[in-house]
Amino acid sequence: MAKKIGVYVCECGNNIADNVDIDRIVKTISSMRNIEIIEKYRLLCSEDGKEFLKQSIKDHELTHLVVAACSPKQHEQTFMNVCLAAGLNPYLFQMANIREQCAWVTSDKEEATDKAIRQITAAIARVAYQEALEKRDMDVSPDVLVIGGGIAGIRATQALASPDRKVYLVEKSSSLGGKVKNFDKLFTKMGSGSALISDELRKVEGNENVEVFTDSEVEQILGFFGNFEVKVVKKSTSEEQEFNVGAVVLATGFDLMDLKALPQYGYGKLENIYTSLEFEEMNVPDGTTGGKILLKNGKPPGSVAVVHCVGREEKGYCSKVCCMYSLKFARMLREKLPETKVFQIYSDLCVPGKAHQKFYEETKSLGIEFIHAEQTNVTQNDKGINVRYESNNGLKNSLAVDMVILVPAMELGNNTSQFAEMLGIPVDDEGFLTQEHQLLAPVASSIEGVFVVGCAQGPKNISESIVQSEAAAGKILSTLVPGRKLELEVKTSEISETFCTGCKTCISVCPYSAISFDDYKKIAVVNEALCHGCGVCAAACPSGAARVKNFAFTQIYQEVEALLK
Amino acid sequence: MREQMENNKNSISVLVIGAGIAGIESSLLLANSGAKVYLVEKASYFGGNIIKCEEVYPNMECATCMIAPKQQELLQNESIELLTLSEVEDVQGSVGDFTVKIKKRARYVNLENCIGCNECFVPCPVEVDNEFEERLSKRKAIYIPCPGALPNAPVIDTDNCLRFKGEDCQLCQEACMFDAIDYTQQDEELELNVQAIVVATGFKTYDLTQAPQYGYGKLNNVYSMVEVERICASNGPTEGQIVLRNGKAPKSAAIIHCVGREKKGYCSSVCCMASIKQAHFLKNKIPGVKITQLHSDLCVPGRVYQKFYEEVKESGVDFIRATVNEVEGQGTGVAIKYKTENDEEYTLNVDMLILAPAIEPAIDSEKLAEILGIPQDEHGFFMEKEPDLDSVNTSRGGVFIAGCAQSPKDVPDTVADAEATVGKILSLSR
Repeated sequence: MAKKIGVYVCECGNNIADNVDIDRIVKTISSMRNIEIIEKYRLLCSEDGKEFLKQSIKDHELTHLVVAACSPKQHEQTFMNVCLAAGLNPYLFQMANIREQCAWVTSDKEEATDKAIRQITAAIARVAYQEALEKRDMDVSPDVLVIGGGIAGIRATQALASPDRKVYLVEKSSSLGGKVKNFDKLFTKMGSGSALISDELRKVEGNENVEVFTDSEVEQILGFFGNFEVKVVKKSTSEEQEFNVGAVVLATGFDLMDLKALPQYGYGKLENIYTSLEFEEMNVPDGTTGGKILLKNGKPPGSVAVVHCVGREEKGYCSKVCCMYSLKFARMLREKLPETKVFQIYSDLCVPGKAHQKFYEETKSLGIEFIHAEQTNVTQNDKGINVRYESNNGLKNSLAVDMVILVPAMELGNNTSQFAEMLGIPVDDEGFLTQEHQLLAPVASSIEGVFVVGCAQGPKNISESIVQSEAAAGKILSTLVPGRKLELEVKTSEISETFCTGCKTCISVCPYSAISFDDYKKIAVVNEALCHGCGVCAAACPSGAARVKNFAFTQIYQEVEALLK
Repeated sequence: MREQMENNKNSISVLVIGAGIAGIESSLLLANSGAKVYLVEKASYFGGNIIKCEEVYPNMECATCMIAPKQQELLQNESIELLTLSEVEDVQGSVGDFTVKIKKRARYVNLENCIGCNECFVPCPVEVDNEFEERLSKRKAIYIPCPGALPNAPVIDTDNCLRFKGEDCQLCQEACMFDAIDYTQQDEELELNVQAIVVATGFKTYDLTQAPQYGYGKLNNVYSMVEVERICASNGPTEGQIVLRNGKAPKSAAIIHCVGREKKGYCSSVCCMASIKQAHFLKNKIPGVKITQLHSDLCVPGRVYQKFYEEVKESGVDFIRATVNEVEGQGTGVAIKYKTENDEEYTLNVDMLILAPAIEPAIDSEKLAEILGIPQDEHGFFMEKEPDLDSVNTSRGGVFIAGCAQSPKDVPDTVADAEATVGKILSLSR
């Protein structure tokens, strides 16, 4: 079928008309090949303008459309809608930006006109090679898999479960509640962690829309946003269960840094040196000491040092929540052992937000001593434990105490990286799972439909972890609506079976894990449901097999050639 | 409660107050879920505080470029009604059935006709300080706050416009080729029925004249961090040239952290990182500039920020833990008298002093709290239902809070809040 290209030049009031000779454009372009019609119009984006354009497309039975006007950011969608209304495939349309890139920046009218002609010619050259594309959608499952039964996972489950959405909550240990259930007190209200967890669990455990798997591992997750196939295995019985979900929430929490790597703190060698989590456990009423703070010899300590920032330097990041829970420890000590001396050995006190400084000031007023120190180490002498440090004037000091609580850096929960690998989520230098965008997409991973919440993506307190769970719920509830189909990216990548040599370069560069390898045919295959059309594969492919729809080489070469001719 | 939401299942409407990054994120997610959103913004533009920034930490990404796609999405989303120049006047009812009264001030520019060509400003004879530019530059009585502001349409400031002061001026109308200027527009009262409300009113910064020891407002070369943000901005009053009021680039600068922290009684969370960012920016823009940070406790929480701090420190920025006693004029610059932790006293002379003010609740938070029937905390931030466990919820069912309206916070935490309000609202309505 012969090509009938229509070109419409918008005067944009006087915005374009003043600085570009539109009549000369019309004259020059009208003599070009395949141009069915070229017309100018005062303001194409106005209601009249859109009606005129629609009618003109129909009257001239156009096969392709070029609009020379403003930036496509402003009105590409407007004119695509006009195409649809006129019965023209909107992907057979191209915009030439002769306002922002021409009239507004090139002061000489002759030069501006020449430039506009080149831009329009380039758009014409390109549009002739564009393909008609169709919007596609697919059926999705609204159900969700939540991995990790700590406070973040529990709250995500609560927010998501409903009669038309089932939530599968998988926990590797034998009970839900994560680390919080072993915290006797929580800052800032000093409520009980175990009481909080039992309250929260009541909303999950009796819920018929929630299926809880404890003592279980997620063995496999295949598929993509809207259609993940999941296999869960019960560890004790090796019993397998398979189900489909539309989205995955990773809430796998944190672990403390292994203190064997930091021998200067004496952990594991000297008595009465505890990690923060061990101290938490000591305080639980049904723990080994019945909730009493005791030394190994069964006596209460007369003095305790809480050493902050253990491993911060080695890790290269601040774990954010340790200052606050160290203050909490001071309060727990003060309450249970009013006579015991408590020292906080800190570097920088990190108490951000509207409520935390007050908690610090109140704690300080209880007679807790704060020592700003560096280069802390812990040894033992005949008097007991000796905490040595360098104070801010460079002098070396030491402190004799009965008990030391070490506050180690937080790191990614063990075996979380296996999910990162299973799902293709990149991990950052510090070992945490990365977000789709550090600022604007704090809970989405780069894999669509997979969300990372709480400490799995960096140290966080309970409040922040809960907000993240609810944020993931917000993202899922707004996109995976029961009964609604999911719209897919139109301009996806394609890999030619003929040209693909199976070198797998594209697989290694794809940021969305959208390309897999067909072992039988020995070629790379794009999963269109995952592809975002970023074009990285097309740029990397050494054999020219990968291309992004409507960004194919022919289209781009034609455009560039016309621009430079 | 749930019943009321269920009755409206197919037509949930939500009011979002404040069109900064939090309000934008909430609105987009809600609209994508199928809800109708009324996004109410007091200013003539949307984008909030973040569009005042040139770059945002820690990746030094261009702030306006970063949120431009979100802004476009918002303008193009037919389920979102963007009400600029608007304020909430009254809220009655309860979750699932709120009746909201909105006052929408006249723009005097018809958004359908205006194409944002800026021709109308040129002939306007009035010049006043531009508040958006922290009064560092002038604007006309018909104006947009800065290039790139959206919606790309001006507003008439009736306090300063000659015509609205009784004179016979219609120069802007004559200059407009699209009949977009309409002096007869009237303020409107709108009444909306919504099922839930998101409050995302953001923050303002501490009034630096309340800390007279730092010389702000008296000494020429003492700036607030927000002013410096605009001086760094390529669409700002100096087009990104970092120059002092005398037109010269500073050879040395100091940043004082935690201004107002003691009076306020809380740490504003983001100022350490913002100060480090400005040091990084100045260092890159002005070759050889000497920068000193005078700080108390450095708050660089989380897995990413410390690295940025270390990079900036290694680039030659001095970090001194100090208390500043006094700032005086010294030649064309300032002399900063400070005391270190060991009680040693020093004086630092610099060309430019930047103050990092505390973050406070937005203007009129008290009035809004009363209208919404939600309590404020001792600092004036909106109060959460449960501070550590339910921080985007309030004591009034169906009213949620996001971002700095609740407490000072950075961009990712603000966005997470916004997404969490959507999680709350959509789980109510199923």
